[in-house]
Amino acid sequence: MNDLLQKFNALPWDAIGQWLVLLPAGVMLLAAAGAVALRNLIHAALCLTLSFIALGIVFIALGAEFVGFVQLLVYVGAVAMLIVFAILLTRPSDLAGAMSPFAGFGPVGGILTGAALLIALLAFIFSSPAAKTPMPSMPVAPVAQIGNLLMLDFVVPLQAVGVLLTAALIGAAVLAMEDKKP
Amino acid sequence: MKFFDLLETAPSDLLKWFVNLLAGYGVPAWLLAVISAVIIIGTVIGVFLGLFALCSVMERKILARVQNRYGPNRVGPFGLFQPVADGIKMITKEDLVPRSADKIVHFLAPVVMMIPALMVLAILPYGRGMVPAELDAGILYFFAVGAGTEVAVFMAGWGSNNKYSVMGAMRAIAQMVSYELPLIISAVVVAMIAGSLSPAAIVEAQGTFAFGFIPGWYVLTPWGFVACILFYIAALAESNRSPFDLPEGESELVAGHLTEYSGFKYATFFMAEYVGMFAICGLLVTLFLGGWQAPLPFLTIVPSWCWFFGKVAFVAFTMIWVRATLPRLRIDHLMTFAWKFMLPMSFAAFLAAAAWHYAGRGPLAWALSAVIVGVPYFILGNHFTAKFAVSNRRYQFSE
Amino acid sequence: MTLQILLAVSAVLFTFGLVAALTRRNSIMVLVGIELMMGAANLNFIAFWRFSADPQALTGVMFAIFSIAVAAAEAAVGLAIIILVHRRIRSSNVDDAEQLKG
Repeated sequence: MNDLLQKFNALPWDAIGQWLVLLPAGVMLLAAAGAVALRNLIHAALCLTLSFIALGIVFIALGAEFVGFVQLLVYVGAVAMLIVFAILLTRPSDLAGAMSPFAGFGPVGGILTGAALLIALLAFIFSSPAAKTPMPSMPVAPVAQIGNLLMLDFVVPLQAVGVLLTAALIGAAVLAMEDKKP
Repeated sequence: MKFFDLLETAPSDLLKWFVNLLAGYGVPAWLLAVISAVIIIGTVIGVFLGLFALCSVMERKILARVQNRYGPNRVGPFGLFQPVADGIKMITKEDLVPRSADKIVHFLAPVVMMIPALMVLAILPYGRGMVPAELDAGILYFFAVGAGTEVAVFMAGWGSNNKYSVMGAMRAIAQMVSYELPLIISAVVVAMIAGSLSPAAIVEAQGTFAFGFIPGWYVLTPWGFVACILFYIAALAESNRSPFDLPEGESELVAGHLTEYSGFKYATFFMAEYVGMFAICGLLVTLFLGGWQAPLPFLTIVPSWCWFFGKVAFVAFTMIWVRATLPRLRIDHLMTFAWKFMLPMSFAAFLAAAAWHYAGRGPLAWALSAVIVGVPYFILGNHFTAKFAVSNRRYQFSE
Repeated sequence: MTLQILLAVSAVLFTFGLVAALTRRNSIMVLVGIELMMGAANLNFIAFWRFSADPQALTGVMFAIFSIAVAAAEAAVGLAIIILVHRRIRSSNVDDAEQLKG
């Protein structure tokens, strides 16, 4: 299959490659908008799941495949399911009543703050000279090297994250346990 | 000999001949790449859908024979055309959607269930050099994409707007998430010893023959045997198969998250479940049973893809056998089993594998790893079976 | 495609998360906003790694992996607290959890 692989690699990936990143990014932003604005909680949670999946695809398209798969496994498989379970466990008694209008004085304050922040961030991004660099070629991030770094250079953060996850597991289980009535 | 070599490379030779034929007609390079990818994907999906059709009738026949009766034997020779009759029935059944159901979510759930089941077939090594997608982190891809199944189960349960569906979906997701841990840890044990997450490399690492005739498959080591059993049980739970099929048991929850599905949508769920079962059998074969490797040196003349599909068929047969034999587990028994027995045993297998590797992989290493795996097994086993004694079984046959 | 476009995408995602955390009334939606913000930060890490001078050092990738792990732990504990509060005050509205006395 080697000649086929050579023909495949000779394709004009620079032109196509950016659409591989921009298309999932667009889907991600649309789904995130849905997650923020939808009133039905379950629909918002499902839009959030779609946004996570699209973000994972963006990571894979940028060359960080390991992070992309971890994003899919952790966020879609665990966090999104947790959010959905929490919605199901804390909703009002009628099944379709999981609606959630906006807080206090309406969404005006939050949207203004968000818009101000967005304008400031975009101004910084588009005026920075360092951010105008062209796209370098696809870096190689082999899993073996990630494993080496985790075990050799980053072993202290790895152990700390292990302790954190154990504490979170035990803590969440203790918190959500039913109180035993004496 | 020449015939067997021809058979071994037959699939890739066929593809190369076809691509060269098209290249001769002046088809551009990018279109050739797309066409060859489509042919590979189509072949893999076609093979697995064919296996699904065969399995749906073989399962009913094997279950029937275990239960001392014939299975479907009217449609075609020995009932083998039953899938055609089933397909016609499924397509022509009325597609009922509850009036107050969430239409979009209810409609999309079977689709979202089918997509991960088909996508995970991309990384399995079907033969020597026959992996559709050679990924560096293939095993991680398998589990990451498999997590999409949980989203689909939830969508099916919620979209039906039915208390039993929601409860069934929540139980199914809890079961899937709980059994994912021993599944992934068993896979990681193999990845640790083989030194790579790529399925092709893992199969290559099992290609040795000790003493000239014992294959170097990981299932034949103490830690590998335990990890294989744990992976097998967790695979049964992940595919919601008996004895872990409480979420879809008719006597428990009126088919749980599948209650409000009829006709073609139910057929899609059914298909997704079987294709997922074959995919995870394929992964078990890749990780523990040596993938496409032959068991004895002189049997390497048989093509590698024959060995792969033969092993997958054997593992699927044992899954059907287990379904016919064991009763269904209750939800709290199921969760206790996952968290209190399988998880500690998977950690023990992990430790045993590390000890096996660092003690030099010699006789001492084998003894040490067997002890590390055996002691927790006996302690946990005694702890969990201490409360009841099993009396002698009395068999009653119908006359 | 330059780094600017990726950073702009990440900024928009961050803004969506911020608006969700500030305006939604349900505490679970606030957590959704927080997760979106952390996703935007991860996208920033990976974008900067992709365009960095030495991608072989894999610093951005490491950062993103740890960030995902921490976000998962935080989501788990946060949701457990939300469920616990719901048991006390029978509501998941952030405006209803206003008494310091438990």
